[in-house]
Amino acid sequence: MKDSILGNIESIGFMAALVLYFAGSVLYFVYAGTKKEKAARIGYVLVFAGLAVHTVCIIARGINAGRLPLTNQFEFASAFAWGIALCFLVFVKKFSFDALGMVVAPLVFLVAGYAFMQNREINSLMPALQSGWLGFHVCTAIVAYGSFGVAFGVAVFFLLKGKIKGQLMERVPDEKTLDNIIYRAVALGFLFLTLCMITGAIWAKRAWGSYWNWDPKETWSLITWIIYAIFLHLRLRGTVSGRKAAILALIGFICVIFTYVGVNLLLPGLHSYASA
Amino acid sequence: MDGASETKTTKEKNRPQSWLSVLKSMQFSFVLLFIIVAACIAGSVIPQGASEAVYRQMYGNTWAKIIVELNLDHIFTCWWFVLLTALLCVNLILCSVSRFPAVLRAWKSSGRKNIGMWGSWITHLGLLLLIISFATGQYTSREETVYGIAGSTQPLGNTGLLVTIDSFKASLREDYTVEQYTAGLTVTDQQGNKKSGSASVNHPFDAFGYSFYQDSMGWASYVDIYKSGDLAKTDLICAGEYTFPNDLPSLVLLFNKFYPDLDRSEDGGYYSRTPLLNNPHFLYTVYYNGSVLGMGLAAPGTSIDCNEYSFIMRDPCEYTLIVAKYDPLSWMLGVSALVLLAGLFISFYVKPWEKKRSKHEG
Ligand code: HEM
Repeated sequence: MKDSILGNIESIGFMAALVLYFAGSVLYFVYAGTKKEKAARIGYVLVFAGLAVHTVCIIARGINAGRLPLTNQFEFASAFAWGIALCFLVFVKKFSFDALGMVVAPLVFLVAGYAFMQNREINSLMPALQSGWLGFHVCTAIVAYGSFGVAFGVAVFFLLKGKIKGQLMERVPDEKTLDNIIYRAVALGFLFLTLCMITGAIWAKRAWGSYWNWDPKETWSLITWIIYAIFLHLRLRGTVSGRKAAILALIGFICVIFTYVGVNLLLPGLHSYASA
Repeated sequence: MDGASETKTTKEKNRPQSWLSVLKSMQFSFVLLFIIVAACIAGSVIPQGASEAVYRQMYGNTWAKIIVELNLDHIFTCWWFVLLTALLCVNLILCSVSRFPAVLRAWKSSGRKNIGMWGSWITHLGLLLLIISFATGQYTSREETVYGIAGSTQPLGNTGLLVTIDSFKASLREDYTVEQYTAGLTVTDQQGNKKSGSASVNHPFDAFGYSFYQDSMGWASYVDIYKSGDLAKTDLICAGEYTFPNDLPSLVLLFNKFYPDLDRSEDGGYYSRTPLLNNPHFLYTVYYNGSVLGMGLAAPGTSIDCNEYSFIMRDPCEYTLIVAKYDPLSWMLGVSALVLLAGLFISFYVKPWEKKRSKHEG
């Protein structure tokens, strides 16, 4: 850490955010068990507080590093959790769908926990990473991943809706509304994933001279993009059940996670410096 | 194909049109897209561009044969991948053409003109343009490389351009990590017109239709070769290159690696403590008739003796590798990307949401 005060704000803040996300998840589980609206409301406030602290922590890191804190595995995992939390809060408010917290709040906690396990040292950027386009590229990825994370959470409910009977599911909106939320979340994610791929291509052109090199990360983002394009078309056809569309939304998010974590661990490529 | 127009075409009765309706159908897009996804997965798992021997070692004989036979070693450029992409384009074109009259009719007959009606149509157009511009870009673009130390001038392939590397600098931070590599360049065309500028990482330099990229750097060394005490040859070689006396080409000095600030780690290995020239050493190997005569570390100016010949490596300096790209159609990609983004935005956000829901889910 360069500046110890900012460094401390960041580490303590990140721990606090992690605890708040965890507490939020627990309250959403309490809500699931007891059906008490109050638990969901407190859960929402806790995730909100987690997001606020997390934001301060990202800003502190940015000031400390003197650059956008969006370049290594830790920084991106942290921003990824932040993006899901933000999209979650927006979608829960917009569609009054408290139960979503049972799936998405733990997801935020898991991704933030994954970030916590990464090396948090502030490292100097290699020249190729010093680009404004990289900033756009990662910011758009955060929104895309956040929306896909929300779509994933809602798709889980869609698939459980017919299977699980009982009190818990009474709190979940009807299938038509769920399908609608999945669609809205995927549409937002798809627009931003497209932007992310385009800004990434522009950056690659500026840094290496070619737009697209078929390195595993690029290839997997294309796979993800195609899966969601298939999702968008399946929904347009009256004959296809919402179930199939929901399954595709799940597969799409698995691709997102694989693009982000799996590719770095399992497949070599240009983007592998991001695991530093 | 949207549901409405598909049900109108009575496929069975109308035989001659049936192959066309298959080609333009959305089922056909799904089939193509699934195969493309499968190919992409294979292409990301199987290392691309390796030799059959590598695959044999990794996957065994049978799989190596299958990989090479099916072109899985260069999936993204092989004929069947190009064919799949071309079929996707045909599919998109037919679908867009056949939908055009219906969209136009709806647009004309609607009272309040809403561009949202065109959203998916514009999206598909953008996608089509993107694929076409990417594909044509592959054939119209060219790439050349030059490398050398500051002060050297070289032809850029057979383009007729000359590239002079005026300067090269790696700027370091306090912790010795590299902040930026910058090459000062002068490019001269066949008529003698000159253009000077600098290329650094993320900031290419444009001249005479080419963009010059600062790609990478390495160390070079001058080598004096003496025979019986007399200077016989002076050469400049980069790390990884070799040199030899002209009258005895079977005696070869290979410049393996350069350590600007040589040190030994606890486990006995050599490394460079900083990138500064504090304790420079060259790692070299001498071969005679293909067999190793010796290997060692030499400080600049040290004589490496082999009978009547001796090699002196001196004056280490950094060289830079510059990649030049000619890509006249890159603006087309930019336009296509904008059309695609506009199409997506219009599809999702301009079309009145309630109307859309009732149309698709009602
Ligand atoms: C991977 C490539 C493709 C992408 C990214 C794409 C994208 C889109 C998008 C974003 C929409 C609007 C969806 C919505 O409003 O919810 C759409 C609609 C549609 N697409 Fe595609 N598309 C692709 C390939 C195709 C192909 C190959 C066909 C040809 C059969 C096709 C046929 C359609 C049709 C018929 C619609 C519905 C139009 C409407 O009702 O407004 N798409 N597409």
